Amino acid sequence: MEGKIIVVTSGKGGVGKTTATASIGAGLAMEGKRVAVVDMDIGLRNLDVVMGLENRIVFNVVDAVKGKCKLAQAAIKDRRINNLFLIPASQSDNKNVLIPEDMVRFGETLKAEYDYILMDCPAGIERGFENSVAAADEALVVCMPEVSSVRDADRVIGLLYARSITPKLIVNRIVPEMVERGDMLSHEDIVDVLSVDLIGLVPMDDNVIVSTNTGNPLVLQKESKAGAAFLRIAMRVNGRTDLPIEVPRAQGKFWKRMGTKFGLGK
Amino acid sequence: MLNGFLKKFLGKSDSKDVAKKRLKFALIYDKLEVSDETLENLHRDIVEVISRYFEIDHDAFKLDIHRSDDLSALVVNTPILSAKHR
Repeated sequence: MEGKIIVVTSGKGGVGKTTATASIGAGLAMEGKRVAVVDMDIGLRNLDVVMGLENRIVFNVVDAVKGKCKLAQAAIKDRRINNLFLIPASQSDNKNVLIPEDMVRFGETLKAEYDYILMDCPAGIERGFENSVAAADEALVVCMPEVSSVRDADRVIGLLYARSITPKLIVNRIVPEMVERGDMLSHEDIVDVLSVDLIGLVPMDDNVIVSTNTGNPLVLQKESKAGAAFLRIAMRVNGRTDLPIEVPRAQGKFWKRMGTKFGLGK
Repeated sequence: MLNGFLKKFLGKSDSKDVAKKRLKFALIYDKLEVSDETLENLHRDIVEVISRYFEIDHDAFKLDIHRSDDLSALVVNTPILSAKHR
């Protein structure tokens, strides 16, 4: 069976694309699929450090696309999670060394080798975006519950529609206490503004920083709520569309929550 | 909680409602924006179509987008020199 290419994008930088790519990629591999995650942020690579694989880079995506090495030489095997491979970005080139036509061709090579290929798209809507989207079959748009991020997501969603890709939305870094207090856009507000299908809600979680500090996969941290949320997103990507979307809730404080329920908290 | 109650009592709106309203307006405005390149292409195409039926003064041809609060209008203005009889 031929693999599927999914681009993870957002328009705005710093909303959690790389963490999402690493975690969903890991989740799909844990579901038993053969997965490649590709860092398309050429010149500013980061997926390697997030995954803790930075010491094992020999070849990169530019080498593989340009035929300077075989695909298998550029793909770094994750030792903790079976069937997960990283194709790192080049750090010395810039985004213009690749063109979308290169990526369409490279996409075919990838699809013959892997079940799922996740493209970690750079911020922006220029060449790096074009290259990341060129061969994509599906798209995940990551946004935060905050005005500038939602606006950029809307722009990117429009560009994806123009390429006949219907994206699915991930709302990342939700702070339930702020949502309940009325100081943060809820996922319903965001879906209402963007008119797009949701595929998962991820709470703000200190474990994300801890996991990038150490390079250990977030999805392997048992106590991580964000990790668990990304695992559920991976399962939905992998066809478990029946899996309900869990809404992050504030911790404890029973009476406060009752208060909110009866209109006192707002 | 008391704070929230006061806010409700005083009829103050949540900051997220302000955010949502601002977002909706920003997105509407963003979508009305047209690039110079698009305008130039449109200009060229319209002149070409009108020129099939009329002799027009190319230099006096004007194409603008007029915006007011709740609507946007494309305004094309051109003097006609003569009709083309076919």
